[in-house]
Amino acid sequence: MSHSEAVATTRLRPAGHAVLRRGRVSFLLHRRTVLVAVTLTVLLACAVVAYLCVGESFVAPAEVVRVLFGRPSPDELVVGTLRLPRLVVGLLAGAAFGVAGALVQTVARNPLASPDVIGVTHGAGAATVAALSFNAVAADALPYVSVAGGMAAALLVYVFAWRGGLHSSRFVLVGIGVSVALGSLTQLLLTKGDYLVAQQAKVWLTGSLNSRGYEEAGPLVVVLLIGVPAAVWAARAQRSASFDDDTATSLGVRLGRSRLGLTALGVVLASVATGAVGPVDFVALLAPQIARRLTRTAQTPLLSSALAGALIVVIADLLARRLFSPIELPTGVLTAVVGAPYLMWLIVRTRSRSGGTAS
Amino acid sequence: MPVPDPRRRAGWLLAGAVMLLAAVLLSLTVGSRQIAPGDALQALFHSGGSDDAQVVRALRVPRTVIGVLAGAALALAGTVMQGITRNPIAEPGILGVSQGASVGVVAAIAFFGVHSLGGYVWFAFAGAALAGVGVYAVASGGRGGASPIKLALAGAAMNAFLASLVSGIATTNARALDEFRFWQVGSISGRDGEVIGQVWPFILVGIVLVAAMARGLDALALGDDAARNLGNNVALLRALGALGATVLTGAAVASVGPIAFTGLAVPHIARALVGTAHRWVLPLAAMLGPVMLLGSDVLGRILFPPSEVPVAVMTALIGVPFLIALVRRRSVVAA
Repeated sequence: MSHSEAVATTRLRPAGHAVLRRGRVSFLLHRRTVLVAVTLTVLLACAVVAYLCVGESFVAPAEVVRVLFGRPSPDELVVGTLRLPRLVVGLLAGAAFGVAGALVQTVARNPLASPDVIGVTHGAGAATVAALSFNAVAADALPYVSVAGGMAAALLVYVFAWRGGLHSSRFVLVGIGVSVALGSLTQLLLTKGDYLVAQQAKVWLTGSLNSRGYEEAGPLVVVLLIGVPAAVWAARAQRSASFDDDTATSLGVRLGRSRLGLTALGVVLASVATGAVGPVDFVALLAPQIARRLTRTAQTPLLSSALAGALIVVIADLLARRLFSPIELPTGVLTAVVGAPYLMWLIVRTRSRSGGTAS
Repeated sequence: MPVPDPRRRAGWLLAGAVMLLAAVLLSLTVGSRQIAPGDALQALFHSGGSDDAQVVRALRVPRTVIGVLAGAALALAGTVMQGITRNPIAEPGILGVSQGASVGVVAAIAFFGVHSLGGYVWFAFAGAALAGVGVYAVASGGRGGASPIKLALAGAAMNAFLASLVSGIATTNARALDEFRFWQVGSISGRDGEVIGQVWPFILVGIVLVAAMARGLDALALGDDAARNLGNNVALLRALGALGATVLTGAAVASVGPIAFTGLAVPHIARALVGTAHRWVLPLAAMLGPVMLLGSDVLGRILFPPSEVPVAVMTALIGVPFLIALVRRRSVVAA
């Protein structure tokens, strides 16, 4: 395909899309994608209300809605003070995981290359536990530490996997290796460290929303506010990057730079989310996959991924709180019990050919 | 790979034995209390009431023996798994077989009230077998068969799944947690002589099983068709190999907890030294496995005194660079 032809085809409006145009700014909207986003939002709203209703004491949905809209209610304390902050952190972290997964999977062109698989969560975990056990930083600096750890781990995987190019299979295998090494490093810090620190770190490491609140939400809001618009803005490059390299290059995308930028963005989002709620595994893997399957688009829809991520975390945490009550399971246990079999299913479906694209 | 001549292979076997002796001696002498090699031997072979003799006999000897048993078992399990799957990164830890054995042990403690190694080793076998079969089924499903990448990913997924089960059981069952908390990390310290007495018959059975199929493993290395033409029952060989690997892994995990990467690195090192013939690789792996395990354990004792680093952490930290080198060097990813 010659360069001019490639440009010409991209100007055609694809089937199933509507165009919003205002002067020189235009948006392509995939109708089904919009429908999915709306549906997921409705489901999420239901899940939010259910989350706030259910707990040690049941609160009627009407009262929950009253609290949410700031009306006086006898259940103000339970809903507004105890359950709401935890829910907010879960929603934000889930959304961040979802977007992070969508970005990394798209750039790697491999659904298996989610942030959990390539070492980001373990990197963030190791760094946070290190900071905790050496008492190196103030508590409010911990999110930065976990971002640094996640970035460092991703960089490590990138460097080790690079060999005249970035073969996605090598990337994933090295990612698994680095994850294991960082997991061991975390174990080492736990055995070496002070008993109380180890207890605190262990709770965090299992990925739980227990006792999380608005303090953890702050950094998440910041990265989502910066990251999501940036990701949407880069969506055009991302869409082209999900073709093979030759096509993308002929479309005029500067592959190296946009890939690096989008991956970095994904890594930051996943790291901050991990810093806030601990390694809640597989959300970053699952959410974009669900979103993609629902919208049936070639590229991964960012907004739906965010919604799906939030939905997964809220439902998982609701189950984690209530399944064996009064004992509370770590949220990450629930997501792993669902996510790991899904990953296996994905492997079965994957065409082994060159280890590249799946399904 | 050039085939080394028999004299060189015998030489490496001898060297392996010497390294094993050295590792044993280090394991007996190094620790929070440094004991001179002569004193350690004195304590071994003569009765003596000194503190050093007490430490050696009561603590270091059981720890060392269990390290030798588990190291040999894991290395042989890795060799066999790489042989029957023809897959360079097959290994009990990476494929989730060790984690399967762990879940078996944890379930035995939490739900079946089994509290002795002799009791829960059977649960470990069952867990290891289920996890191994599951991972292999997942990896070989779909188009293209069980490529290294699919095997590794399926193993990672299985590990995550089983780890969450263990974590779930631990969270909801405080009594069980207390019992397996220290076992779960993967360490050879604090095991007493009783564990050795219970576990060695199983490991012996596993070793015999594996040793008996050395020729079969060589045939499998040539490919299924070639192996069949040489008069082997390929399916039976795979089943026997899987059984051997399961018994060895299950017994090792039941006694020392999940320890990864010993089974990955050792077979590769052994093959690099004596070529690919399993009647040479297996015995050398059986000696180098304990060398790696005891070496990691000794390193873990001296790294951050007075606390000790569990041997599973050390083997992972040593093994992962090995895995990465393997992935970079070989056509592992060509899938």
